[in-house]
Amino acid sequence: MTDAEPLLHAEAVAKSYGAVRALRSADLRVQPGEAHALLGANGAGKSTFVKILTGVIDKDAGRITMDGEPVALRSPAEGYERGIASVFQDPAMIPDLTVKANLRLTGTDPAAVTAELEQLGIHGLDLGERVSDVPLPFLRMLDLARALAHKPRLLILDEITAALPSDLSAKVTEVMARQTAAGGSVLFISHRLEEVIEHCDMCTVFRDGGDVASFAPKDGREERIVHSMLGEVASGQAEEGRRSRAGRPDVGEPYLVVRGVSAGEVLNDVNFSVAPGEVVGITALEGQGQEALFDVLAGARRPRTGDIQVDGEALIARHPAAAISRGISLVPADRTMAILPKRSIRENIALPATARFWRWGPISGRKETRAVNGAVARLSIDTRAASQARRLSGGNQQKLTIGRWLAEGFRTLLLFDPTRGIDIGTKRQIYDLIRELAEEGAAVVMYTSELREIELVCDRALVLYHGRIVAELPPDAGEEALLRAAHGFVDAEAGA
Amino acid sequence: MTEVAPQTAVPRPTSAVARFRQRNGWVVGLALLLAGLIFLRSTQVANFGGFELRALVAGGLMLAFVAMAQGVVVISGGINLAVGALMVLANCVSALLMEDASFAMSILVAILTVIGTALLSGLMGWIITVSGMPDIVVTLALHFTFVGLALFILGGPGGRANPDFANMIVGGFSNPWPALLWLSAVFCLIWLPFRYSRSGIATYAIGSDRQAAFLTGVIVKRARVKAYLISGVFVGFAGLVTTALLGSGSPQGTVALGALLSSVAAVVLGGVALAGGRGQLLGPVLAAFVLTLIPSILLSMGVNSNIATLLQGLIIIVVVMLGGFLEMKRRKL
Repeated sequence: MTDAEPLLHAEAVAKSYGAVRALRSADLRVQPGEAHALLGANGAGKSTFVKILTGVIDKDAGRITMDGEPVALRSPAEGYERGIASVFQDPAMIPDLTVKANLRLTGTDPAAVTAELEQLGIHGLDLGERVSDVPLPFLRMLDLARALAHKPRLLILDEITAALPSDLSAKVTEVMARQTAAGGSVLFISHRLEEVIEHCDMCTVFRDGGDVASFAPKDGREERIVHSMLGEVASGQAEEGRRSRAGRPDVGEPYLVVRGVSAGEVLNDVNFSVAPGEVVGITALEGQGQEALFDVLAGARRPRTGDIQVDGEALIARHPAAAISRGISLVPADRTMAILPKRSIRENIALPATARFWRWGPISGRKETRAVNGAVARLSIDTRAASQARRLSGGNQQKLTIGRWLAEGFRTLLLFDPTRGIDIGTKRQIYDLIRELAEEGAAVVMYTSELREIELVCDRALVLYHGRIVAELPPDAGEEALLRAAHGFVDAEAGA
Repeated sequence: MTEVAPQTAVPRPTSAVARFRQRNGWVVGLALLLAGLIFLRSTQVANFGGFELRALVAGGLMLAFVAMAQGVVVISGGINLAVGALMVLANCVSALLMEDASFAMSILVAILTVIGTALLSGLMGWIITVSGMPDIVVTLALHFTFVGLALFILGGPGGRANPDFANMIVGGFSNPWPALLWLSAVFCLIWLPFRYSRSGIATYAIGSDRQAAFLTGVIVKRARVKAYLISGVFVGFAGLVTTALLGSGSPQGTVALGALLSSVAAVVLGGVALAGGRGQLLGPVLAAFVLTLIPSILLSMGVNSNIATLLQGLIIIVVVMLGGFLEMKRRKL
């Protein structure tokens, strides 16, 4: 490129977590006076990169320079002296302290913050308030005002707009314009492509732990962005075989019905239903309300509005146990959350079904053994390897968490990103297992961040964006259509 | 997707009254409880005056300091099971060194004792941050170490406090003022300046949310060690008060354990959240006197002393539950 000296220049930055290479080799050039977007699908390595840039974690290799001088922040606070101010994905505010006390921790002048807030058009926010009493959107604005109060030359905004209503989002983009007009730079991380296209001069796309493209994200270029994010769609995936049964003529009466459910910060008026034998895929970018939706379905959280019906009867869940007793089972993404690592495979499988073996007395060992053996055989878990669940491989652990619901007929299966971090062989076994459960009449709802799984496993796909279902697509709609919908671009024919 | 942009309303600040209730409500309630108990006590005793007050203040002073020592660490998100043992160690060492010492020498010994406990406690915090072991493990292990060390140094009850020094700390027969003065001095000249310094805010920050504290630039390890250091200062004062009250050193594990358990009770009763990050040290201090008063009141009422212990436990549970209930009600509003 012909540009002058970049303000920020990162070269060949790499980072591994144990055996996982989160970042192979990433380059980034941010010019002065530029709003630069950092894009990438889930797991592309952009959050790792931002953490390194802001001093939250150390890099393993590579070089980051600002104005030609190396920067290696050891903590986020050091950034202020170097002219780098960051607004993190999670609010960096201590909940039990007042806003003022928080500002003292970062050495920020409260008057400067108030001035920035005034300029943002936010009047009368009391800095004497305890942080836990300030609503989340305004905490984000306080985060932003604090960053601005340090007059940074590089402002890093990591998913700041995700938690903001549209009028406050607009204020963020105003700030970006002001910052670049004054010669400063902005590194903007957002899942909302329209914001990137409208407000950024350049974008760099990450994929598989490295940067793959850098270009100006002009209008009509979303195709190129999406292509860069996905990469060449590898051929030879066909052999894996599609397991879904798209276009099946009839699916029967709905078994699980979700009506007008709103919950948490984002989830807003969600409607869908699942029939027995059907696998419904849900996909979304991070933070679009999927966690809240699954919490509600699994009985861990009560919806603010709306209701859920299971087999024609309303589910009023006060506790996951209530949902379990209605035959609803949840397989979370984080396996360690759902297994008892130090107990045996047998106990792990038997635990959720214990209610069925248990009647005011000792558990019937005979019944338990029969149920457990059946499940282990079907899962083809290697039981020689370990008597303790923690010694199993990640894939086998996940099979365990799915398999324990096999032990006795659970009719609704909720899967939250069930194959995250699992090798391809075990993935296929899990896909088969899911299809098998569906064949037996289970209603399956599966959230996945891997778009390919929609085609591989699901019968139809629902796309969440901003807490709403914005599209219902057939499984063969293609990753591009799914990704576009997940970014809020909904074609007329795809809209549900 | 063109929605009409709604104007998100800036939240209305909570009223000054609500803020005061939220931040100081518990302490005010506790102060009222203490005042009530003192009044009750005054009706029990004929000629309630200096003597009774001195007994209360001097008797509760040791626990007040230990409760402060526990409180700082709890606020920082840890727990210090070695407060009692370190206090016993400070008591034994100071009593040993003060034996036959002049008043001036005794003052020097007292200063060195406080510095010593602060350093030992800071060392304990350093071990915790370096080893990565939980607070509870390291401080429990050091509890036994400190008790053992006290026994090794003194062998058995021994040493002697300089009488002038003892008078200066806990006051004479019916003089409650020195004890009150010392407590206020330590609270106002050591704790309050620390609490409102950047280090003090950092102590609350690491107890409230360590990740956010790190993101705001708090050096978490250093802040944890500082909390233990301050805790050690308070433990040192507790040890000196013990020396002054007993007039000698007493290397007993039961004393250490009793002080430890009472310190946790005072912290809980004082409205400091065991999860860290919330509460003020004035709470545990007031709670320490409440805990000192209850047994003598019950005893005067003719309650069997075994039952009195049981009742004291029940009172703590009821008061804390009541506080939790009020807090829940407030959040719903």
